[in-house]
Amino acid sequence: MLRRYRWLVPYLFLLPGGIWLLFFFVVPLLVMASVSLQEGSLSQGYALTWNFGIYPQMVAENSGFFIRSVIYALSVTALTLLIGYPLAYTIAFRGGRAKSVLLLLVILPFFTSFVIRTLSWKLILNDNGFVLGTLKDIGLLDAGFRVLATPISVISGLTYNFLPFMVLPLYVALEKVDFRLVEAANDLYASRWQAFRRVTLPLSMPGVFAGSLLVFIPAVGDFVNAQILGSPQTTMIGNRIQRLFLNTNAYPEASALGFLMIAAILVIIGIYARVVGSEELTS
Amino acid sequence: MSDQDRTRLERAIAGAFRPRRRLSRRTFFRQAGKGSLYAAGALSLPAILAACGIRAQSPSASALASGTAVPTLPAEPAGTLDWANWPAYIDIDEETGDYPTIQAFEDEYGITVNYTESINDNEEFFGIIQPDLAAGRSPGYDLIVMTDWMIERLIRLGFLSPLDKSKLANWEETCQDLYRDPWYDPGNQYSTAYQSGITGIGYNPKLTGRPITKFDDLLDPEFAGRVGMFAEMRDTMHLTMLSMGVKPQDATTADAQAAHDKLKPFSESGQFRNFYGNDYYDALAAEDLAVCIAWSGDVSQMKLYDNADVEFVVPADGGMLWVDNMAVPVGAEHPLDAHLMMDYWYRLDAQVPLIEYVGYFSPVTGVADRVREDAQTARDEGDDEWADALEVIAETAFPDNATLQNVYTYKQLSEEEEREWNDLFNDVVQSG
Repeated sequence: MLRRYRWLVPYLFLLPGGIWLLFFFVVPLLVMASVSLQEGSLSQGYALTWNFGIYPQMVAENSGFFIRSVIYALSVTALTLLIGYPLAYTIAFRGGRAKSVLLLLVILPFFTSFVIRTLSWKLILNDNGFVLGTLKDIGLLDAGFRVLATPISVISGLTYNFLPFMVLPLYVALEKVDFRLVEAANDLYASRWQAFRRVTLPLSMPGVFAGSLLVFIPAVGDFVNAQILGSPQTTMIGNRIQRLFLNTNAYPEASALGFLMIAAILVIIGIYARVVGSEELTS
Repeated sequence: MSDQDRTRLERAIAGAFRPRRRLSRRTFFRQAGKGSLYAAGALSLPAILAACGIRAQSPSASALASGTAVPTLPAEPAGTLDWANWPAYIDIDEETGDYPTIQAFEDEYGITVNYTESINDNEEFFGIIQPDLAAGRSPGYDLIVMTDWMIERLIRLGFLSPLDKSKLANWEETCQDLYRDPWYDPGNQYSTAYQSGITGIGYNPKLTGRPITKFDDLLDPEFAGRVGMFAEMRDTMHLTMLSMGVKPQDATTADAQAAHDKLKPFSESGQFRNFYGNDYYDALAAEDLAVCIAWSGDVSQMKLYDNADVEFVVPADGGMLWVDNMAVPVGAEHPLDAHLMMDYWYRLDAQVPLIEYVGYFSPVTGVADRVREDAQTARDEGDDEWADALEVIAETAFPDNATLQNVYTYKQLSEEEEREWNDLFNDVVQSG
């Protein structure tokens, strides 16, 4: 009896996620699409006028913010990879009994809120706080030197905040690598570097790919780091959208920018997947 | 972490995203999403998209505008009051976290007050209540506190309920003239003042090395990278225009353009460390900023608790005087209870504890004398620190005449002007 309905099972399994996505992803997306094409004012109300012209207009007015955000996010992705790969490698292959403790340490920052962690960096890096103030007092730094309110502090803050998103997928990928393959490569006269480059690295590419996406995508749209650690010159696209929505009530402009950001991210990821070859990676 | 660092961190968290004194997080999508659920029944995509419109003013707006008929209040209070206020804008018992003055009101009137600190920003809160008000529904609050220019907009859109003055006897008696018949609400038909303050300049003489007197000092290259501006458009734009000799009431969009042109090069050169919300407080207290735009009440608090060096000055070319007001939105479910609360704050036994805690300007006559009495009592009891604090508050509970000569109220912007000014200002705040 039940067997007849077996074909339903996969659909039933998809249902909760599907409903969730419908209400909290598809519906808001449609609202945003609608709002972006509306014109009007608060007292007159907004009406859908299919104002597609807003898209080229927003591109023209905000390309600087887009470019800056992508540069920042790419730098952050590269930095997290540079820092995260050796870390994940060490935990996976040399962690030994400390493995779970080390992993816990990687995740530990998540136990406090993102905003609080970023704010504490602001306190630590105050121009006259206990780090810079001390260095200035002993004459190692010029009195006018500062870290906060520079691109360096924004990129560093993003790197710090997103590092675990890189380390965890890398660790999972590296953990799966059968170390006997590396030993076999060594037996076949591969140097350590060659074994790494031709065995370990290719096998860990799914982790690199997943980690890059998990870091790059939220980093492009982040506004917390630029807001807390940055200056007017480090404004990212997320700050732009936030300001248009919250302070200016420019709903259509902000919605259009949101869509443009999604589009830009999709294009960049598409190129990346093409280059890395995502089909091999996910299979 | 020392205690000082900890309070600073707490304050920083609360203040990180406040465009104006308080935190900001938009719930626009929540509201917009509500509308789209109704639309989900429609079949075609264009129909769905079209149904997501943002509605305009209240259906009752025209009726209200024509006669400002005061709605008849119920004879008895409902026993409940939903009040939306800003964070850190009420006296709190530091030990228990209770609101003693509100509790006294509850005991006396038998009204349960649901006090929420749900207003983080004028524009943001407007976005939250706007869909309900436009649809003629209760926004869920009986009493709201909004800044003067927003009160003006709410009245214009028909979103506020006219007040029944017969229920505001204390207000009639004790409200100071300065807060009667204001520009944003002639005759106080819709609002009464809650607290008030001045936007001027805060600075640290230790870092500037000289007294700051005027707005153009903020543009002195000597302070490059250690200057803070406000992310709030009206404050920063008006102060800039005042420095160019343009009074707020005479300001045109051409003047706003000129102000933009004056600020833009400095924004691009890195003169301004940032455009701040409430978080300028920490940056000034921590000495990351040497000089910045600031609110009067904040700087007197900072002097007492966080950094004794800082000074507040109303720029020689003029500062801004603002008033936050209590008002009852249309469709409020417990309007009489709201009137009672509004009037309650015009009693000295309620106003004095409030002003002693919050430290802005009070709209109520006789507050300063009472605060001075409390200071004397504290001194007699040997609590000199608290006595000093109270004496400062007594001095600053009212602006003196010299100060009032040199402060201005915001220009009443049309929607068109507001959009143009915002565009100009956004271009200064965020460098692409």
